[in-house]
Amino acid sequence: MTVYAASGDTWGISGPTFLRYYLMAVSVVVAIAVYHRVRLAAGSTATMTAEPLGPQQVAYLNGGPQLAVHAALGGLRGSGAIGVRPDRRLTTTGAAPSGLTPLEQAIHWAAHQHSRVGDLPRDERVRIALHQIRYGLEQRGLLTDDAQRARARFWTTILIALLGLGVLRLFSGLSNGHPVGYLLLTLVALLIVTLVLRRAPVLTRAGRAALRGVRREHTHLAPASTPAYATYGAAGAAMGVALYGTATLWALDPGFAEQAEIQRQAASGSGWTGGSDGSSGGGDSSGGDGGSSCGGGGGCGGGGCGG
Amino acid sequence: MRRMTGPSGVGIGWRPEIAGFVAGLPGLRFVEVVAEGVPASGPLPPGLTQLRERAVTVVPHGVRLSLGGAEPVDPARVAHLAAVAQRLDAPLVSEHIAFVRAGGLEAGHLLPLPRSRDAVDAVCANVTRAQAELPVPIALEPIAALVDWPDDELDEADFLTEILDRTGALLLLDVANVHANARNRGADPLALLDRLPLERVAYAHVAGGAEHGGFYHDTHTDPVPAAVLELVGALCARRRPPALLLERDGHYPPAADLRAELDALAATAGFPSVT
Repeated sequence: MTVYAASGDTWGISGPTFLRYYLMAVSVVVAIAVYHRVRLAAGSTATMTAEPLGPQQVAYLNGGPQLAVHAALGGLRGSGAIGVRPDRRLTTTGAAPSGLTPLEQAIHWAAHQHSRVGDLPRDERVRIALHQIRYGLEQRGLLTDDAQRARARFWTTILIALLGLGVLRLFSGLSNGHPVGYLLLTLVALLIVTLVLRRAPVLTRAGRAALRGVRREHTHLAPASTPAYATYGAAGAAMGVALYGTATLWALDPGFAEQAEIQRQAASGSGWTGGSDGSSGGGDSSGGDGGSSCGGGGGCGGGGCGG
Repeated sequence: MRRMTGPSGVGIGWRPEIAGFVAGLPGLRFVEVVAEGVPASGPLPPGLTQLRERAVTVVPHGVRLSLGGAEPVDPARVAHLAAVAQRLDAPLVSEHIAFVRAGGLEAGHLLPLPRSRDAVDAVCANVTRAQAELPVPIALEPIAALVDWPDDELDEADFLTEILDRTGALLLLDVANVHANARNRGADPLALLDRLPLERVAYAHVAGGAEHGGFYHDTHTDPVPAAVLELVGALCARRRPPALLLERDGHYPPAADLRAELDALAATAGFPSVT
């Protein structure tokens, strides 16, 4: 049986017909989006190694590139390799100690050039080292990789477009005095699903689990315990920053932290939710929730959601 | 959890600041924890829970009971010590022979008693009161004093022996205190060791200190000096205590230094290394 478009139908399509096709389209796209979202959280076909995470890797998981830089600073300061001059620029105290990570080497070099802490994320060698850390974490399936995130974001963008279409239909229907109850219900549900799916995680499930595991093993580094950093050494200081934020740097060496203009902040503890920076790995502020909202895929685009 | 055995071997004072270091000592069988720092209910500090899961003996060490006070010991403080002992499944608790408050004033630290018969009576009365409420034995620790009171009727050994005999309490011997007291009074520490009831020692404290202005200060924030280590050896030659406990309360050194001190203690006493 064919339903002919009556002259009064919005866009020449009857309400039930539109709703049927609309629901079909939405279902298919939601299914695909959920599939990619689940795959994203599950991580890539990871080469899971038992190799323990270093402080800078933990910091990257916990607070992004900025916290990784601060963790490296904590380690270098803990071993006495760097200091700060009265003009608030970093300086080195002798040759670079052996066994430094690439990020520590980069920061030690930058300190040798008397960089400011605030300029470190823009330093070329620092950026390369941060990118290496990010790549390593992606390879281990702890961070979601850019291609995967782009794919997941594409499908939520389609959802947003569908949402926009539905809203347009809703307003047209309303202005023509047609019943829109079912469409409205559908749109509310779709809005909720879209909002949930849009929060593309930066950490995979394995990444969050790894972070939890490291945190459990290092509760003694919580600032509330006033940890003896002299006893725990440079690695302990770095891990303290990685897990508990720059509050650890302030506890370790308040004079250095103040002089080097390091913001005192506790890490959020729930893992990094920061931006979709990809290769830049730099100057975005890490930490706080909601950093990824409206990232990338067209914002509230489509048909002007929420009309 | 397994039932705890008495303290044995070389242990270390558990402090939140070095909890990670203590947790990383593979051979550790025994720690001591400041009783007032452990809540009677609610979650235990995470490091202590892990040690208990490893069946490491945890002895609560009270510092605020004021057993040497003229007034009766505070029942609430005894109850707290008892609750902590229960929670940690401790084989014994320890406290100081000292007073920390008098006439409602808090001194904030441990003060020595005059070694008079009245003081013995007061201490014994308080220890007996505490013992009635505690689920486990108590070990008593004499404290360091830079000076003697003018009205001392008993010497250190008689004073301690009298208290231990009358209360049945165990002795927590602080080797660094023995060294400090002898050094600061020009007395022979070995003579004191010879007169103490060493068979009653539950465990011994060893701590670091420093010389200032001609006096030895039992700081707990400096390395253990060779003289104290020698005295540990002399004690063990007479009668080795079941356990030795390294006390470190601040100015924590690098982990390697702490491990070296624990190893030195183990080597001196002939205990297995815990590091």
